[in-house]
Amino acid sequence: MSDAPSPWKSFQAKKEAYLAYARPWEKKVGSFLTFRPEAPSSAGSGPSGARPLEGLPFGVKDNIAVRDFPLTCGSKMLADLVSPYDATVVARAKAAGASVIGKTNLDEFGMGSSTENSALGKTSNPWDQSRVAGGSSGGSAAAVAAGLVPFAFGTDTGGSVRQPAGFCGVYGFKPTYGVLSRYGLTAYASSLETPGILAKDLGLVKTVFDAVKGRDPHDQTSLDPESQPVRPVKTIAVLADLADLDPGVKAVYEQTLVHLKALGYTLVPVTLPTLEYAVPAYYTIATAEASANLARFNGIRYGHRPVYAENPEHLVRQSRTAGFGNEVKTRIMLGTYVLRSGFQDQFYTKAQKVRTLISNDLQKVFDQADLLLTPTFPVPAFVHGDKTMTEFQQKLADKFTVTANLAGVPALSFPAGLAGGLPVGMQFTAPAFCEARLFEAAAAFATRVPVADCPGTSLDWSK
Amino acid sequence: MYQTVVGLEIHIHLNTKSKAFCSCLAEFGDEPNTNVCPVCLGYPGVLPVLNEEALTQGYTVARALGCNLSQRTLFDRKNYFYPDMPKNYQITQFHDPVGRDGKIEFQAHDGTIKTIRIHDVHLEEDAGKMIHAGDMSLCDYNRAGYSLLEVVTEPDLTSGEDAEAFLLSFQRLVRYLGVSDGNMDEGSMKCDTNVSIRKAGEPLGTKVEIKNLNSTRFIKKAIEFETKRQATALETNQRIVQETRLWNENRDVTESMRSKEGSLDYRYFPEPDIPPFLPDAAFWAAVESRQVELPLARKHRLTAAFGLSREQGDFVAESRFMADFFEQAAKESGNGLAVANWLMGDVQKELNHFNLSLEASPLTPFRLAQLQKLLDSGRIHIKIAKQLLDAVFEQNKDPEVVMREKGLEAITTEEQLSPIVDKVFEAHATVVEAIKAGDARQKGFLVGQVMKATDGRAAPALVNSLLAKRLG
Repeated sequence: MSDAPSPWKSFQAKKEAYLAYARPWEKKVGSFLTFRPEAPSSAGSGPSGARPLEGLPFGVKDNIAVRDFPLTCGSKMLADLVSPYDATVVARAKAAGASVIGKTNLDEFGMGSSTENSALGKTSNPWDQSRVAGGSSGGSAAAVAAGLVPFAFGTDTGGSVRQPAGFCGVYGFKPTYGVLSRYGLTAYASSLETPGILAKDLGLVKTVFDAVKGRDPHDQTSLDPESQPVRPVKTIAVLADLADLDPGVKAVYEQTLVHLKALGYTLVPVTLPTLEYAVPAYYTIATAEASANLARFNGIRYGHRPVYAENPEHLVRQSRTAGFGNEVKTRIMLGTYVLRSGFQDQFYTKAQKVRTLISNDLQKVFDQADLLLTPTFPVPAFVHGDKTMTEFQQKLADKFTVTANLAGVPALSFPAGLAGGLPVGMQFTAPAFCEARLFEAAAAFATRVPVADCPGTSLDWSK
Repeated sequence: MYQTVVGLEIHIHLNTKSKAFCSCLAEFGDEPNTNVCPVCLGYPGVLPVLNEEALTQGYTVARALGCNLSQRTLFDRKNYFYPDMPKNYQITQFHDPVGRDGKIEFQAHDGTIKTIRIHDVHLEEDAGKMIHAGDMSLCDYNRAGYSLLEVVTEPDLTSGEDAEAFLLSFQRLVRYLGVSDGNMDEGSMKCDTNVSIRKAGEPLGTKVEIKNLNSTRFIKKAIEFETKRQATALETNQRIVQETRLWNENRDVTESMRSKEGSLDYRYFPEPDIPPFLPDAAFWAAVESRQVELPLARKHRLTAAFGLSREQGDFVAESRFMADFFEQAAKESGNGLAVANWLMGDVQKELNHFNLSLEASPLTPFRLAQLQKLLDSGRIHIKIAKQLLDAVFEQNKDPEVVMREKGLEAITTEEQLSPIVDKVFEAHATVVEAIKAGDARQKGFLVGQVMKATDGRAAPALVNSLLAKRLG
C-alpha cells in the first residue's frame, strides 16, 4: 500500500494555489462549517520519525472536539461553543504531524443520513451538487471527494462514515468498537459509535488509523487492538437473499461479485436471519442513549439560552425548544419513550437481546468466511429535499451499516463503481480486530477498479 | 398503639482526593466553580473515568456492613433534569450495586443491641449546588462529581430515638473505616427517611419520604412528628398519601413536597461509558486490609477486658483514635479503668483548656500510661499526677522527666524521710513533748509540718508510720 499521497506534503508551501483551488469548490459543496486553511499548521511537535502524517491538513467532523475550534455539532444549541480541548484522535493526528484546517458539516448531533439535518449549513455532493453528500458525516465525505483534504475524521454510529463515503466515492472506515478513543466525540449513542476515517487513498486510511488507534486513559471503553493471526483473505460471504436494491446499486454489486471472483476469492452465500431486526434494534438503543446523552444541553453552562427566563426550569425548556431541530427532538422523545419504567423489557431490553442475536448471526457468517460483502446503502446519493425517501425509509436503508455498530465489528465502505454518473459504495465487514482483512481485500479490489476521481477535482495546485 | 416503621437512605461523601469520575479536587469550601473541568461540567465529548479509590471505599463499607459483595459491578444512568446536575443524568448503580443484603448491629436508645438489615450499598456522583439570590439563580459545580456512597436500610427501625442511635453508630462506623468524616452539618453525610405506621401484626402502611434532614436530632424529631401526623390521619379516617415531604426546621413539622403521581421516572439504563468492574485479587486484598474491628465490637471487648462501665465504654470507643489511644495506654499501664477515668476527666479538662483535640495534643498513650504507672507504683500521688499531666500539656515532655526535673518524686523510704522528721521534731520540740505526754490531738500538726517540709511529696503512710515509731 502507498504511503500518504505526496502532493499534500507541499500543502503548507503552496497555500495560495491550494486556496485558489479550494475556495470555489468549497463554495459549491459547503463541506465545512469552519474553514481555516490560511492558519499556520496546528500540528504537534515530536520526533519526525514518529510523524507519519507530517504536513498533512485534515478535516474534522464538527461533533469532534478540536481545541480553539467551534464544536457546533451542526446544532443551533452549540453554534457558539468553542472547544476547550482536543479529542484524542485529533490530538494523536496532530502529534503525528497533521494539522486541522476545518470542521465539517453534519446532520445535527450525527442524526441523519443526508447532512440535511444540519441547522448551520448545506452540504452538497461534489459529484452532483443537486444531490446530498449523505450523512451524518456528509461534510467530511464531500471535503475528501472534492480534494479539499487528504483525509477527514467522521463519526459512525449506524453508518455515518460509510454511507456518505459511499455517496461521495471515497473510502469510509469504521474500526472495531473501542480501538479508536471516543474521548472528544460528542456522544449520541455511546455504545454504538466510534470515530471513523474518510480518505480517497486506502493506504492513508490505514496510516491514519495506525497513528491514532489504541487505548486512551480518557476513555475506559477504549482498548488496544488484539493481534490477530495474519492470513490472506480467501473467502467472502455474500447475502443469498438480497432484495430492494436500487437498479444502479444492484448492477455495481453484481459487477463487484464478478471482480472478486476474478481476484480469486471464493464467494460463500449466507443468510443473516436477524438483519430485518437490526434497524429497529439500532434505533431503540441509539435513541435511548441519545435521550440521556443530549440531556446535558440545557443552556445553563454553555450553549443556546433565551435572553430571559422566569426560572431555571423555564430556561432549560426554552433552550431546548429553540436549540434542537426536529430530528433531534424526535429521537430524544423516542429514547425517552423506550426507557420508561415498566416498558423497558418491551423495548430497550428486547433491543439489547436482538443485538446479541445479530452478533451471533455475524459470528456464524465469519465461521464460514473471512469477510462479509454487502452494498453500503441500497440507493446512490439522492437529490436535496427528495421526498421519495421518507425519514422512515432513510432509516430502514441503514440496515447494512447498523449491523457492524450493533456487533462492534469493523467495516469499510469502498468505491466500487459508478451508476448513472454517481459513485456507489460497497461494504466489507470483518470480525472484531480484523481490520487488516478489510484493507487487504479493498486494496485487491482497487487493482481492478481504481477509485474514480470526482469530475473537476485535481491536485494540480500542488505542482 | 401504632408502631413506627423507619427505613433510611444514607449518603456519605467518600474520602477521595479527587472526584468520582474526573481528576478534579474534591475539596469542601473552595471558591465556587474552581474545582471543575470539562468532565464534571458535562461538556460535549468528555467521558467519565472511574476513580478506583472510590470503589475500594465503597466495597470496604459494604463489607463492613456484612453485604454480599458484587463480583461484577456496573453503573447506570439515572435520568432527571436539575440545573445543578451537569449531565442531567446521575451516574449511579441501580442493577449491580457494590453490595446487597447486609446486616449490622447497633446499640439502641435503651441500650439493647438491635440488628438492622441493609438493602444495598451503591456508589454514585453528587450534584452541584444551586443558590437562589434575589431574582437570580447561581450554580456552583465544585461538588458536582463528588464520590457519594448511598446505604439503603430495610425498614427495621421502630422509633425516632432508634433512628438517631443508628445514625450515630453508622457515623462512627464510617469514621472508623476512614472512608468519610460523616459530618452532617457540612453535608458530607445526609439522610432521607422513610416513615410509615401500622398496628402490631398488620402489613406495612403507606410510607412517606422525608428530605432536608441535616442533623440526627431533626431526623428523630421528624420521625416523631410523622408518627403523630399519620396516626391522627388514620384516626380521622384519612388516607396516608405516598409522597415526599420536607422537614421545616423552623416550625418542627414536615411539609408536602410532591406526591407519588408527580414522582419522576428515572429511566435507569446501564452506563455505556464505564465497562463493568471486576474486582481482582489485589482489589479484594485492599478491601480486606481496610477492615477494622467495628465500633460496637470494640466497645464490648474493651469494656470486658478492662472492666469499664457502659458510660466509659461508650466514651473510649467513640472514635477509632480514642479507642486506639485508650487501648494502648491501658495495656501499657495495666490499669484500664484509671486510664478511662483520666481520659474522661482531667484529660478532657486539659484539652478544653488548651483548646486542642486529643489527636493534636502532646499527650500520647505512652505518656498517659507512664503517668498512671508512676501513680500506681506510689512514686507520685494523685495531686502530683495532676500537676504532671498539666506539665505534659504545657511543656510537651514525658511526665517522668518533669517529675525528675522538678524533684516531684514521692519520698517513700525511711532513710529519706528520717532527717526531715528530725528537723521538724527539733523545730517543734514543745509539741513533740506534749504528744509524748499524751496530747494525741497535736499529731496532725506534726504530719502537716512534715508534708510542708517535703512539698507534699512524702508518702502519707510512711509519715504516719514513722511518726508513730518516734512518738512511741
